[in-house]
Amino acid sequence: MIMEQDRGEGAKVRVLIEKATNSTDSEVHPRLLKAIKSVVRSSDSELRVAAQTLMDLMKRDHSQVRYLTLLVIDELFMRSKLFRSLVVENLDQLLTLSVGFRRDVPLPAPAAVASILRSKAIEFLEKWNDSFGIYHRQLRLGYDYLRNILRFKFPNIQANAARRQQERMKRERRSKEILLSKFEMLKGNFSSIKEEIQSTLDEIKECLDIVHSKEDSKAMIPLDDDITEDFRPSELRQIRLDALKEGEMVHENNDNKVIFDALREVYKLMSKHLVSIKEWISVLVRVDSTDTRFRDSALREFIDIRNSLCAVKKRCEESGCTFTESANHDDKDEDFWEEGPVGATENGDSVAYERKKEDVAMNGGTFTYERKNEDLVVAPTSNVIKNAGTETISEAHVGKAVQNGEVGSSDSAPSLRNKLLADAPVIEWGSFLNTWDSKMDILANQRGLELESHWGRVDYDATIPAEKIAELNVRASLYKEDQPEIQPCRAPLRKGGLCQRRDLRVCPFHGPIVPRDDEGRPFDTSSSLDETTPPDQEMGSVEKLVKQAVKNVRARDKEAVAKRERDKQALKRAKLAKIREHNEAVLRDAAVASTSRSSGLGECMETTGEMRGSAGKKKKTLASMLRKKTLTKDRISQRLLGIRSRDSTQRQLTLSQGANYGDAFPNQW
Amino acid sequence: MWKDIRDREAGKLRPNSFANRVKSDRVSSLQLSNHKDIVSPHRGSVNSLQVDLTEGRYLLSGASDASAAVFDIQRASHSEGLIAKYQCLFAVDKQHEHGHKYAISSAIWYPIDTGLFVTGSYDHHINVWDTNTTQVVVNFKLPGKVYRTAMSSLATSHMLIAAGTEDVQVRLCDISSGAFSHTLSGHRDGVMSVEWSASSEWVLITGGCDGAIRFWDIRRAGCFRVLDQSQSQLGRRPPISGWTANKLSTSKSHLASQSSNMKSRILHKKLSNGNATKPSSTTGKLPAKGSTRQRLHPGLLSSQDRAVSHYGAVTGLKVTGDGMYLLSAGSDSRLKLWDVESGCNTLVNYETVRLHTNKPLQLATSQDSALVFAPCMANIKAFDMWTGKASLTLSGHYEAVNCCLYSFQDQELYTGGNDRQILVWSPSRDSTELWTRRIGNPVQTKITGATDCPLPQGRSVSTLMPSIKLCPPCT
Repeated sequence: MIMEQDRGEGAKVRVLIEKATNSTDSEVHPRLLKAIKSVVRSSDSELRVAAQTLMDLMKRDHSQVRYLTLLVIDELFMRSKLFRSLVVENLDQLLTLSVGFRRDVPLPAPAAVASILRSKAIEFLEKWNDSFGIYHRQLRLGYDYLRNILRFKFPNIQANAARRQQERMKRERRSKEILLSKFEMLKGNFSSIKEEIQSTLDEIKECLDIVHSKEDSKAMIPLDDDITEDFRPSELRQIRLDALKEGEMVHENNDNKVIFDALREVYKLMSKHLVSIKEWISVLVRVDSTDTRFRDSALREFIDIRNSLCAVKKRCEESGCTFTESANHDDKDEDFWEEGPVGATENGDSVAYERKKEDVAMNGGTFTYERKNEDLVVAPTSNVIKNAGTETISEAHVGKAVQNGEVGSSDSAPSLRNKLLADAPVIEWGSFLNTWDSKMDILANQRGLELESHWGRVDYDATIPAEKIAELNVRASLYKEDQPEIQPCRAPLRKGGLCQRRDLRVCPFHGPIVPRDDEGRPFDTSSSLDETTPPDQEMGSVEKLVKQAVKNVRARDKEAVAKRERDKQALKRAKLAKIREHNEAVLRDAAVASTSRSSGLGECMETTGEMRGSAGKKKKTLASMLRKKTLTKDRISQRLLGIRSRDSTQRQLTLSQGANYGDAFPNQW
Repeated sequence: MWKDIRDREAGKLRPNSFANRVKSDRVSSLQLSNHKDIVSPHRGSVNSLQVDLTEGRYLLSGASDASAAVFDIQRASHSEGLIAKYQCLFAVDKQHEHGHKYAISSAIWYPIDTGLFVTGSYDHHINVWDTNTTQVVVNFKLPGKVYRTAMSSLATSHMLIAAGTEDVQVRLCDISSGAFSHTLSGHRDGVMSVEWSASSEWVLITGGCDGAIRFWDIRRAGCFRVLDQSQSQLGRRPPISGWTANKLSTSKSHLASQSSNMKSRILHKKLSNGNATKPSSTTGKLPAKGSTRQRLHPGLLSSQDRAVSHYGAVTGLKVTGDGMYLLSAGSDSRLKLWDVESGCNTLVNYETVRLHTNKPLQLATSQDSALVFAPCMANIKAFDMWTGKASLTLSGHYEAVNCCLYSFQDQELYTGGNDRQILVWSPSRDSTELWTRRIGNPVQTKITGATDCPLPQGRSVSTLMPSIKLCPPCT
């Protein structure tokens, strides 16, 4: 009784397993696997049957079956203790069948699968050994045997992971050591570093004081912080400092220069200090030293120093900004801009910058920049356009938005801007934009080059007045008519779909074009009908007549269409279907070989073939079809059996049995 | 089990038989031990295993890479979780200045103590090593590859190493003199297996590649018996049947042999321990039939001389503990049980499948000779000695097994194979635990109280060790 039951249960597992392993996939079907697992979970006897079945399947003479079986075994092995103990008893057999390490028992047929099976088996063995090796001597033995005696290459997953971990630990330890040594070094010369920085700070402060004492007398324009903050990169700062120097050189007399030189030097030093201080702080933060007291105090001091450095730096930059302002004030030709990643342009042509960066490289001195920004596509970059125009107040405000010129003075910038943008003309970009809205006269004989002209005296100061320039710059534009959209007819077609013919007023097939809904029914038929029903309305009767006429025309058309359709089909069935392929091949050859006319002909045929469905072109297509059949033949016969080639061809045909063939199938080539 | 204990308590069961029952229980549940790992230092197949005869503690192994190693199987060198690892105490190999060049085919302990061990190798040498210094103390050069060496555990009057070699002659090497004391000729081919009798110190049994098993009395010239597979008797010894009778007879014969040994020792002392080649017809062990044959010829009748016991080479010999039976394994994949007394094949059919043929095998028997352990290719099979039924098949080796060794003390089996592993097979933990749990009650004092009954065999005192180990209060 129990045996019977067992057999019944076992059969289920066996069937499941056999089904699961009887496939060509590279893995077991997950649902079958799940089913197997759930069945096996139910009782130990099932599991035993499963183990037995799996071992039997492993003996199959097919690597794919073995491979899938091995996958199932692995699934169960990782989950069931009983299964493990069952499998482990025959582990050498299992390994023989899956790894194939015995010379006399090689793995069976599909070689590709067999190699996968072997590698998988080795991988599984390693995994099993890692997880359950301590519970099963057999696993250890098998693993040892394959690894140490047969020298199989194991993937060594765990060992690799452990090694990586170790390497990482080592690296961390090393970096820690480095930090610690740095920390020790800092401990050694903390005071000296501090003193050095302090002396630099003092120096820079003194320099600033001196400078400021002079500047104060000049009552400079107050500084703008927003601008300075935009100059992050050191090279920008450098440039600014250069500018500062230039401004100073021009602006100040020689005795001041010394101070500025010194200031610059010290400033450089200070920025270096700032970097090193930052490094030290990071070291202090990361290091885990026992001497926390020193660490904390050092950290605190460093932060203080950094803050003071930052403050001084800011002051410096503020003062630097002041100088640039003054420099611009003094000399319009002073121009500095940097094409850097920040995208900051100073005094540059922002339009050009936006549109075409390479074109920006023009000499700022030759132009003054005063333009409306209406036509700008203002990207949210941090462009800072500094206006050097004498009559304008240089203002660069409001974050990213660029304001300029006359409009720049207003504070309600966005709304006004938008308004202006709305009615600004859209014009193509060109070099004339450089002098857009310029009110300056232009020197006529100055090209930037010193040319000795021998054609007489040249008046170098000759100018072209601004009006003339504007006149010369008048842009001609062509009127472009925008195409009005012609509505399609949209009358319902017999074959379904809507008529796509586009006519202005009247469709030749469906009458006047009226607005129609999606099914093609006119919107206002009923109303028009209502209108037309009163007989006393003259307009109505006219319309009725028109409609009647249209209807008549349509009915006639339909009849004709139907008839021709029938004719055409009959014809086609009779001849075309048989000959067509042949003819088409010939046609194509001809088209490839010869002029566009024949190719156009082919196209025409194709299009008419396509259009056959649409009622609108039926008459035409049908006609063309009919005509074309003879036409193409004629043409091709003309082409192929032409005056020159006919004789030879015919001779050939007669020579061979081609003549008979030609008689039998006159339409065919 | 409970019944046994109750019987023991009531005195119905003899302590010896009680212990034997426990032991046979344990033996029947042998399986690959998970908690005992012998870390093999060998890089070649393990050819020989032996536990020392004095303490039963040191395992000596010899391997094909010319290395021999000694393990302490009672004390693990370290343990990894549940697994106790047994690393070798020392190993000698090719790097040793006097080490063997080629495979060690046989490594045996000096029977008296663990101060010496003997290795025989394919490089034609037999080395005698001092265990403590791991130096070679005596070296014998033989004419061919040494297949097997043996020393008698009973010997009190000689210290001879019997060496079976490629050569047709069996040589006996005398450790005390460092020379060959005997050259026994009679085999027509190399000698693969050599075994001393367990009942007489002068009887040597050799099995050759010619299929003959010869008995030699080293005190006189020539062999006195050649086992013939055609001479057979059904069952065990005809006149005596039944277990108890057999038991009695063995004990009697033991007593007899012991007394004879005593006598002979006295005799030898009288003879001032001269060369023992002088025939002495007074040895009680030699059967009457044998003596009649001896009278016929100093060697043998030529017809008897031609007799073979196996078709093919005799690869393994094993004398049962009581010295009355001889097991032989041949390259014809047969295992045969011989009655030493009559020299007849007992016709026990052992269900061997296949034995490997080209190497000497080392068989093992359990205590009281109930089971035979024989290497059958990659498996070890345990056969019932008297019926030949295979009761256990132990599979764990990945290549052919060469040698088995049964430790009477722990009821453990040690096996060495071509896969370089030495595996330990021990009674399953479950049964041990079960037994320990069951025995953990007051009854045990009675059991231990019984152990001080006089025991027939001196050695069997130590065989009760496991039961002492099992119940700590006994100690």
